[in-house]
Amino acid sequence: MKIYEKSVRNPISTFMIAVGMLVLGLFSFQRLPVDLMPDMDIPILLVMTVYPGAGAAEIEASVTIPLENSLTTVSNLRTLSSTSSDNISTVMLQFEWGTDIDVIANDVRDLLGRAEGNLPDGADRPLMLKLDMNMMPIVRLAVTAEESFLALENILEDRVIPRLNRIDGVGSVDISGAVTREVQVNLDPMQMEALNLTLEQIGQTIAMANVNIPSGTMNIGTGTFTVSTQGEFTSSSQIENLVVSRPGTSVVRLSEVATVLDTIAETTQEMRMDGERGVELLIRSQSGGNTVAIANAVLAELPYILRDLPDDVNIEVAVNTADHIERSISSLGNTIMFAFIFVTLVVLFFLGNWRATFIVVVTIPISLVAAFIYLMVTNESLNIISLSSLVIGLTLVVDNSIVVLENIMKHIERGSSPREAAIYGTNEVWLAIIASTLVLLAVFLPLTMIGGMAGILFTQLGWIIAIVVIASTVVSVTLTPMLAAKMLKFQTDKKENFLSKRIEKILNATDNGYAKMLTWSVRNRAKVMIGGLAIFVASIMLLRFVPVEFMPQSDDSQITVSIELEQGRGLEYTTAITARVTDHIMANFPELEMISTTTGAASGAGMGAFFGPSGPHAIDMTMRFTSASQRDRSTFEMADLIRDYLESIPQIVNSTVNAGRSVGFGGGDIEVKIFGHDFHATENFARQLLAEFEQIEGTRDVQLSRDDMKLEYRVVFDVDKLGHYGLNVATAGTFIRNRINGMTASILREEGNEIDIVVRYDEPFRNSIEDIENIRLFGSGGHVVRVRDVGVVEEFFSPPSIQREDRQRVIAVEMSLHDVALGDVVPQIYAVISQAGVPDGMHVIVGGAAEDQAEAFADIGLLLLLVILLVYIVMATQFESFRTPFIIMFTLPFAFTGVFLALFITNTPLSLIALIGSVMLVGIVVKNGVVLLDFANLMRDRGLTINQSVITAGKSRLRPVLMTSITTILGMMPMAIGLGEGAETWQPMGIAIIGGLIVSTILTLIVIPVLYSLFGGRSILAQKRALRIIQADEE
Amino acid sequence: MTDTNIITTNTSTNMKAVFITHNQALTEAIDTILARHTIRGYTKWKDVQGRGTYSGDPHLGTHTWPAMNSAIIAVMGEEKVQPLLESLKKLDLKAEQQGLRAFVWNIEGVL
Repeated sequence: MKIYEKSVRNPISTFMIAVGMLVLGLFSFQRLPVDLMPDMDIPILLVMTVYPGAGAAEIEASVTIPLENSLTTVSNLRTLSSTSSDNISTVMLQFEWGTDIDVIANDVRDLLGRAEGNLPDGADRPLMLKLDMNMMPIVRLAVTAEESFLALENILEDRVIPRLNRIDGVGSVDISGAVTREVQVNLDPMQMEALNLTLEQIGQTIAMANVNIPSGTMNIGTGTFTVSTQGEFTSSSQIENLVVSRPGTSVVRLSEVATVLDTIAETTQEMRMDGERGVELLIRSQSGGNTVAIANAVLAELPYILRDLPDDVNIEVAVNTADHIERSISSLGNTIMFAFIFVTLVVLFFLGNWRATFIVVVTIPISLVAAFIYLMVTNESLNIISLSSLVIGLTLVVDNSIVVLENIMKHIERGSSPREAAIYGTNEVWLAIIASTLVLLAVFLPLTMIGGMAGILFTQLGWIIAIVVIASTVVSVTLTPMLAAKMLKFQTDKKENFLSKRIEKILNATDNGYAKMLTWSVRNRAKVMIGGLAIFVASIMLLRFVPVEFMPQSDDSQITVSIELEQGRGLEYTTAITARVTDHIMANFPELEMISTTTGAASGAGMGAFFGPSGPHAIDMTMRFTSASQRDRSTFEMADLIRDYLESIPQIVNSTVNAGRSVGFGGGDIEVKIFGHDFHATENFARQLLAEFEQIEGTRDVQLSRDDMKLEYRVVFDVDKLGHYGLNVATAGTFIRNRINGMTASILREEGNEIDIVVRYDEPFRNSIEDIENIRLFGSGGHVVRVRDVGVVEEFFSPPSIQREDRQRVIAVEMSLHDVALGDVVPQIYAVISQAGVPDGMHVIVGGAAEDQAEAFADIGLLLLLVILLVYIVMATQFESFRTPFIIMFTLPFAFTGVFLALFITNTPLSLIALIGSVMLVGIVVKNGVVLLDFANLMRDRGLTINQSVITAGKSRLRPVLMTSITTILGMMPMAIGLGEGAETWQPMGIAIIGGLIVSTILTLIVIPVLYSLFGGRSILAQKRALRIIQADEE
Repeated sequence: MTDTNIITTNTSTNMKAVFITHNQALTEAIDTILARHTIRGYTKWKDVQGRGTYSGDPHLGTHTWPAMNSAIIAVMGEEKVQPLLESLKKLDLKAEQQGLRAFVWNIEGVL
């Protein structure tokens, strides 16, 4: 017994299995994590090595180059780039997408172990870091306070962070921009000199006083007691009263030579929320965590945390990535709902019967939940890729059920009982259904094999549509016939109402009109073919006016700005600019919900230093606006305004304004990389190019990747003189460091907090070159000498960092694009470069998104060829013919005509997403041809002439072709209109599919029958010839 | 004992064989008719090919002509034949496209 017969004969089992699927699917759906993107391993490893005290050039030579040389042998390595800056070397290894990063990390660790021997003694061990999606904070909380500001770090660490950490799924909570308390002992060098005291002695005195020493135990009577010496300070005020004078001289207390301040450490970074001083809490999720659930849990916990904090402490959400995710997901949810409604209405229109419509439409939820089960089993999340795939899948799943149901209804009309019509009707079409499913699989399974970053995006799409289509095929040969048997009635006397009569009339008129047109066409083949060719050629011409871009960008209500002032500007100066820009933005953009600014770099060499501003002269700003539907201006327009404003401020040397999110990374940027060893030569050439690139229309934020040279003071000692006074560079350097940077003498313990006690020269005594020259150095043997006597202070310009890529020094000219397609700019860039003439010893590569785009487009081209070949194979086996699938393939050019036309009319650039849409079209449009020619073949086998066959086939298959095409077109409509947040990303796909399908459906219905009659005519001649040979033999 | 002894002739009525070929899609209707006429004994071929002499589509189970026939041969008393044929005729008229034919011949002997 065939499966459809079994399902019709066992309706309860069939029904229960369907219900089981539905329940399992909904259960999976409920437990699926929600995220923006599918989980992807970013194939990047960072190796960071700290070599304290070394300048950028020294770091490059002694740390970066040895590391690069040993790391270059790792397999799957794509690019090896590095940045050598003062004190730190960062080597970035970028691997091919899809590389198992854990395995590679082990290899890299081994290589680092071996390379360590080649590094200088003073260098720390290289530290390897994996770049991870989870490194991006999912929620950023802005914390502001007034009186409690000094204690903010403690409050957060004691009362807020532990509670946030306890939330399920929270990986880490970090404070950014917090001020650290510090006890400062600021010395007056004049007084010290008069009293013959050194900074080191004072530090020593403080350290010696601030100790507790356990002194053993003592037995007194029958008891044992511990004895200890208690010296530790209980408050900072005790420090002032310390006696610092040398023994035998009059008593001098610390307060006489220094001011002791219990204050905050000198900051290198300042953070403001909406212009108010504050700190940020960065909350990151554990790997694989459900971003939305975690973010919601954090928000839910906030009111309770706030209740236990001092009144002046305020916590506000600065960035909540879950917002964007939730809005994108819910807008996709609406898209699915509208697609469902449209498909239902189309089916109802064509079938004119509620029961039949129900039978067809019920396929949709059951097929879609199969995707949820798949996501659950493979541990994937509900994200914009999987949901968009469902929208596309939704428009395809009804086709099979429609074909089955149509045939069943035909049998019922001929007088079968519904039950038998269901069995025998399905029997007649199930092979054709399997074949059309195979055609779709031939298109979507290869999508899972795309390489590169595009592959990460489209793997899920390919799998989901494949699974949904397979599920719909299974449903169409089980549940559909079963429901038809149960629900359809013997329709001897059709009850027709006014509306269904009208619809029937329209459909009949369409059938007849089409038949007439077809009759004319097969008699005027030449005219039709020339017309078709003309349309195709015209559309190719049109392609020249369709701009090209890599990935569409979407308005995610955020703008980020980074600003650089002149190299060497101090924090105070920069903060003033920050305040000015912030005020302007707050006053001029009522759409603004939140602005957070970070001025200056975080101290130390942590991750913060890697991501944030590069120095005290740099500012990062993040702005959050109301959601896209609630404002008139897009973030792109606002970014333009901000850009114009920033250009009007003379102090700003460089600024970048970023709006919009595109799927993946890279945005719309171009990087022109200039490789060459000579700093000055490469920089001059880069500046020359930069000036010309700025002239190209549509380029924005053109800038060099290398920071300006920065001014440094270097103390150069005369080693001979140092030796004479019993000093060496190390001891002399330490003396200078202690006086300027400070010496951490001891730690003050207060209520479980540890506060550094730092001794250094008071600020007025360390702000000029003379101050450095006046520093006294103490040699062994009691020699005292000033810096100016043993060395000179020189001014130097040095590059703050040296960038390398693939083991060569590189300087890049970076730019972002606005209102212009990447494909238009890149040729101009190449023209500028070849005109300028690359000097000897340098070479230039155009990279960035341009590189990714060229690579991805080439991948898609290859994919398209593969898909066409596979589809041809499937069709050739189905028809057992080389010719028929060849004829059907002629629908493809018209599909592309439609794509170009639709993109042109809607002024949408041809992006990767639109291209993927075109690939999908291959599967969708050839189905129309298959339906048409399958029937034409049938008619010929049944003895009709060729022209009769195509006309009959056309007339009979017009409705199914129109029906499946219109369901897909209308189902895609919500996606093409692109309502809701993040919808811009998938809009080009919707537009491409709709355009391609409309044009190819219309032209397929005319051109394919004409081609069939042309090629079929030939084969009749062949048959006649064969017949003649047989007759000749007989004679 | 000889073979002739095995063949017995029912003296009360004459036995007739009715051969029904029909589109499979009519299986349930045919079953109902046979039951209604209390015809218990029959032999059935579920999948057979066939086509009509004058009209109708061939039922060949191929891609071109996907429908299939079933065939039934039922042996019954003469008095049951006419009512059965009448019911079958009615069914055939209701859905002529489906295809239904019945042929009757005499039974010479029964085991």
